[in-house]
Amino acid sequence: MIRLESVNKRYGHVHAVKDLSLEIQKGEVFGFIGPNGAGKTTTIRMLGGLLIPTSGKIFIDGKDMAKEPEKAKKIIGFIPDRPFLYDKITGMEFLRFMGDMYGVDDKIFPDKANGLLKMFSLNEWGNELIASYSHGMKQRIIMCSALLHDPQLIVVDEPMVGLDPRGIRLVKDLIRELAAKGTTVFLSTHTLEVAQDLCHRIGIINRGALIALGNTSDLKKAALVEEGELEAVFLRLTQEQPEAA
Amino acid sequence: MNPVLTLLRPRLLAARRAAFSRQDPTASWRFALFGLLGLGFWLGIFALFYRVLTYFQSIGEEGFGDILALKLLSMVFPTFFALLLFSGVVTSLSKLYLSRDLHLVHALPVSPQSIFTARWIESTIDSSWMVAIYALPVFFSYGMVYSQGPVFYLNILAALLPFCVIASALSAIAVMVVVLVLPANRFRSILIFLGIGIFLVAYVALRLVRPERLVDPDASLSLVRYMASLQTPSSPFLPSTWAFDSMKEALAGNLGNMLFHNALAISAALSLAYIAVWISRTAYYRGVSKSQTAKTRTPGPLNLNHWRTRPFGFWKGPTRALFVREVKTFFRDSTQWSQVFLMGALIAIYLYNFKVLPIEQAPIRADYLQNTLAFLNMGLAAFVMTALAARFVYPAVSLEKDAFWIIKAAPVSIRTVLLVKFFIYLPPLLLLSEFLIIATNRLLSVTPFMMALSVSTIFMVVPGIIALGIGLGAAYPDFQSENPAQSVTSFGGLLFMILSAAFIGAVIIIQAGPVYRIVRAGLSTRVLSSLEIWWFVISFAIVVILCVAAVILPLRFGIRRLSRISS
Repeated sequence: MIRLESVNKRYGHVHAVKDLSLEIQKGEVFGFIGPNGAGKTTTIRMLGGLLIPTSGKIFIDGKDMAKEPEKAKKIIGFIPDRPFLYDKITGMEFLRFMGDMYGVDDKIFPDKANGLLKMFSLNEWGNELIASYSHGMKQRIIMCSALLHDPQLIVVDEPMVGLDPRGIRLVKDLIRELAAKGTTVFLSTHTLEVAQDLCHRIGIINRGALIALGNTSDLKKAALVEEGELEAVFLRLTQEQPEAA
Repeated sequence: MNPVLTLLRPRLLAARRAAFSRQDPTASWRFALFGLLGLGFWLGIFALFYRVLTYFQSIGEEGFGDILALKLLSMVFPTFFALLLFSGVVTSLSKLYLSRDLHLVHALPVSPQSIFTARWIESTIDSSWMVAIYALPVFFSYGMVYSQGPVFYLNILAALLPFCVIASALSAIAVMVVVLVLPANRFRSILIFLGIGIFLVAYVALRLVRPERLVDPDASLSLVRYMASLQTPSSPFLPSTWAFDSMKEALAGNLGNMLFHNALAISAALSLAYIAVWISRTAYYRGVSKSQTAKTRTPGPLNLNHWRTRPFGFWKGPTRALFVREVKTFFRDSTQWSQVFLMGALIAIYLYNFKVLPIEQAPIRADYLQNTLAFLNMGLAAFVMTALAARFVYPAVSLEKDAFWIIKAAPVSIRTVLLVKFFIYLPPLLLLSEFLIIATNRLLSVTPFMMALSVSTIFMVVPGIIALGIGLGAAYPDFQSENPAQSVTSFGGLLFMILSAAFIGAVIIIQAGPVYRIVRAGLSTRVLSSLEIWWFVISFAIVVILCVAAVILPLRFGIRRLSRISS
């Protein structure tokens, strides 16, 4: 479903993502973890078509993001870490907007939108301006909009930020359910427990480079950690090495 | 360190970085462009006042010129004071209650009055610097005409400084009191309406006074006499009176009286600053808290809730999505739709100008003058469209603000987005410009040829202006701005104005020669030569090519640049 071939991203002198190659299968839940500033959000934004890589290629379901961006984006549901939205429209109007953008049929839209609003406990807020929504509510309306067109791939940056415990449980169950139905999920998170619970495979990125890849046991082996949780693996692999003299 | 200084530090550091940064290569160009424009405006004010004051001096009667000059000065100060007050209210409302960083600042372990003091200092500088700088040429012209020494020029500073502080303190106090009753967001909306209302009344009133009569020497002299008899507010309790008296005494060389009036102003400024800080102890934080809990939840009277599927149901996909969102956002944002009133006033005055044109009194043939005016009117109408496009079309991309990620992540090309925006603004502006052209041509009773030429030229030029606005707005977007409508004062906005003016100028110049020949031939019932016909055909063809290029090139430029910009 996702193929990254030697993807690099530079911001001036900063090499944010270094030679990243990765392949993620259909129905897989892939977790991307790493310290702050490691390159997670940059990678996610390149996958979502928000950023153009400096070099390398990104394929979504075989479609080259550089050559066929609209076709590639059509099968993605993108959820950013910060919920910036249009303040002057209502939640329902935003869903209508996104439905039109992604080509959701007018006939199925009302039921679909109402169902999603209900699922994310926003049904009483659908006709209110987004300006009045809390951070968590904005995050939830974005999730509704990302699921509206039944995407084959969900790209989500920090899915649990701003959500209450009920929301976190809902999202976890939803991701499992979607994966069981064949939807691919690429998520970046700082919550290692979420990655451990949900992801079939995890990639650890540090200073722009993918330093480890595999399921939890693979990562434990790579980090020479026998006992403990993913946290120990993460800390071992991402610990700062002294500069070579 | 003093908490007020600490709170001001980020602003100082940002200003220093902006002044000395070499990271942005376009910064020096921008600085030069803005500097030149500013300097031109400054010199224009100076030249105007210098000319007026020397004219007053030339009026024969003994001492009458001095009376007029002082009368003018006494009018200048209340005007500046009103400007400073309005600017102070808008700036302090924004700085004290609506800034994005208020959450961070109010979470700091510093007292509300420290925050208020730091913000008020910023607000005073922001709201006063422009008025103060553009007041200088007025006073310099007095200094030059009355051959004043250094004391007069130093007194400009001594009089202006407390004058600005008084206005800013009064504005901040007023804002703090009003925000206790009215949430800051609503207060801002009211201010916008108030500002537009005052502008409209002043604009229409000024036009109806018919200032063109000043050209008539008899009318001019009677107006000057009328001005001399005008009463300006001169209460001894008004800060504008203290500043005026100080400048008047400085002009007369009475240093003692000058210092007395300055002392009055300085003591009032210090007292008001103290009172403002004192009030902030109890009122400021309460107002901030109230403003945060007063967000609008429902769309309001202009909700347009049923717009989506009824009149625009025939559209599908991204076109409908972008169109409906754009229209709804426009009509729900009072800072946007209230500008329509300005447009209405502009059109009314534009048509009125043509109605009162004294064509019959002109020394040249009326039919010749009518057609010449109609030809120049094409350019004028296009400039009016440029001004409207600068306000509405150029910021269209920047209005996406932080939510631009939605467009970038959606399965829609930047080309489609820009084309939809282009076609949203094209019909209203095209209709408006054609209405202006047809109405003014009818008022001028022009020939059918001139009517056809004007209508077709405007039909080709307006899409070019809109494409320039959309294209350059996309090439130089400002997604971080709290008020993108003001982005026209940015580098890209100025570039848009310059290129649009050059485009309109080029069209008018290319058409001028052959059109002149045709109109002359028509009026003298002479048959056109084949050379003249070919000249017209070729120049019209060049205009068509230019207009097509003005649509395609800016849009392509905008698409290319915006595609590379990350959200």
